[in-house]
Amino acid sequence: MNPQEQAAGTDPHPLPPGRWIDVKGVRTRYYEAGSGDPLVFIYGGNFGTGDSASSAYTWNLNLGPLSRHFRVIALDKLGQGETGNPDSDGDYTMRAVVDHAAAFLRAMDLPPAHLVGHSRGGYAATRLTLDYHDLVRSLTIVNSGTLSPGVGTNEVVLCNPPFAKGTRECVRWVYENYSHAPSVVTEHWIDAVMATLGQGKYQETVRKMTEGGLGERVFLPELAKQKRETLQWLKDGRLQRPTQVVWGFNDRTAVLDRGMELFHMIAQHDRTAQLHVINESGHFPFREHPEQFNALLSRFVALHHS
Amino acid sequence: MPALQVSTIDAKGVTARILRGGDGSKVTVFVDGAVPGVTPYGAGAHLWGDVPCRFAEEGRVVVLDGASAPAYSTLDDMKAYLVAVLRALALPRCHLVAHDAAGLAALLLSCDAPELIGAVTAVSSVAATPTGDGVENMTLAFAPLPRESRQAQRWALERLSYSHLHVDDALVDACSVTADSTAWREASARMAQPDASRRWVGALARAKASLFEICRGKGVPVPVQVVWGTHDPLGTMDQGLWLFRLLAQRQPQAHFHVINRAGALPFREGVDAFHQAVAAFGDAVVRSA
Repeated sequence: MNPQEQAAGTDPHPLPPGRWIDVKGVRTRYYEAGSGDPLVFIYGGNFGTGDSASSAYTWNLNLGPLSRHFRVIALDKLGQGETGNPDSDGDYTMRAVVDHAAAFLRAMDLPPAHLVGHSRGGYAATRLTLDYHDLVRSLTIVNSGTLSPGVGTNEVVLCNPPFAKGTRECVRWVYENYSHAPSVVTEHWIDAVMATLGQGKYQETVRKMTEGGLGERVFLPELAKQKRETLQWLKDGRLQRPTQVVWGFNDRTAVLDRGMELFHMIAQHDRTAQLHVINESGHFPFREHPEQFNALLSRFVALHHS
Repeated sequence: MPALQVSTIDAKGVTARILRGGDGSKVTVFVDGAVPGVTPYGAGAHLWGDVPCRFAEEGRVVVLDGASAPAYSTLDDMKAYLVAVLRALALPRCHLVAHDAAGLAALLLSCDAPELIGAVTAVSSVAATPTGDGVENMTLAFAPLPRESRQAQRWALERLSYSHLHVDDALVDACSVTADSTAWREASARMAQPDASRRWVGALARAKASLFEICRGKGVPVPVQVVWGTHDPLGTMDQGLWLFRLLAQRQPQAHFHVINRAGALPFREGVDAFHQAVAAFGDAVVRSA
């Protein structure tokens, strides 16, 4: 039994069965259910984070309901969840994450997909769209401080957790501070995070990013360079796919002003661009109000279906 | 798309013209904000275009034709008329989608009669927004005359829009016919009197203050969303966002939606996006309300 399945245990909202696929030599984990237009979910965070760890489980409240109408797919990103780590230190970058996700879509032989990206995953989904238009039908960006212009407050809100990194208490503290209502941070969610954190291959990314210095030497400088280009491309109107921006109103780490600015940047070139704000929601509107989020996503995809 | 059927209903002695269509337990009621002498075009059920028919594909739809409403002196009059019609219709709790001044009336009515209203969508309802010490809005200044003429109606509709493309002959004709009707002209003439105009503006300010007081107190008791066009010449997106902020203080189920490249009639300029946002709210929130 893999860590996600262990975490799922008695979970009332388990992920669909996990599958594996080889993506350019990287053993890649993904979860799939349903049929119809493909919706591909890209979660946030990045490899090597010691106080939290994202995985496809982030979408567990969305995949089941949406699979009734669509083919839903959530992949574990390069170096995250159960997917293998980057081959070389030079690939500890968002560039490599984006290219891996694009290669995953090709390996799956999908028709142009409806991408849904959250937080750092919102950046990855957007950059993927900008680089590989043929793979994308529409784009949904959710609370992405990584993508949006302006000052991010993630490092302020989540600085120095009062618990030891890697503990359940630390994980709970991080996600409670991301959220509007602390009660949305369930034991099952924490189980899933702990399962990811507990993997040897994930701990290797933590060592490389922190002790090895890849976070400061490689990952962040490369992201900054890529983000500058990405924002310029958005301003230039290169996105060229129907896009909606969905934002949790009460997110303290990626405040609404940043989502508004991002929306304006996209809407300047995309007649169909939309902005939706959901009340009483922090950084994870699709977890705090899954029914509202799923309804917005369903209707958007139906509007732009193939 | 299913066509809507026109009928009339007696609401406390007033004959209200309504359009109906669709079937099912999900009920959406559309209300325009027609106020002769204030609304610069002949508003009425025709303003909604194809939108109600889209909703009729998935549920029951009623469109109140503001053009058949009695002349209002105050926003309370509009509220009273709305509640009379809703009671006469004997509908299950509905999702009230209200435009312009009717958005403010609908929000207040949801506090007075939550047994009738399951959720409110306020569309481009500048009347409900805070304005602070705003500057004079010149959008509709120096209108061509006579106001009921096709030329003046087209001018007003275009001035309120991002693009002129939705202002087709059918819309201009319908607005002209409404604005040229005896009832509209008489009501407009009454509203043109200084006392009547002052009374309407004063009542509107008091109604808005009531809403703000409710928002900081017990809150609006039903799920609510605010829909705004990016290029509404009468109210900025910031005003719409402030209305959402106020409502969201005490109503957990609150949304704010922005329709790109739309003015004060976003349901006409962004039909798909408007339908998507409003219907999604109905899918997720109204059912569980």
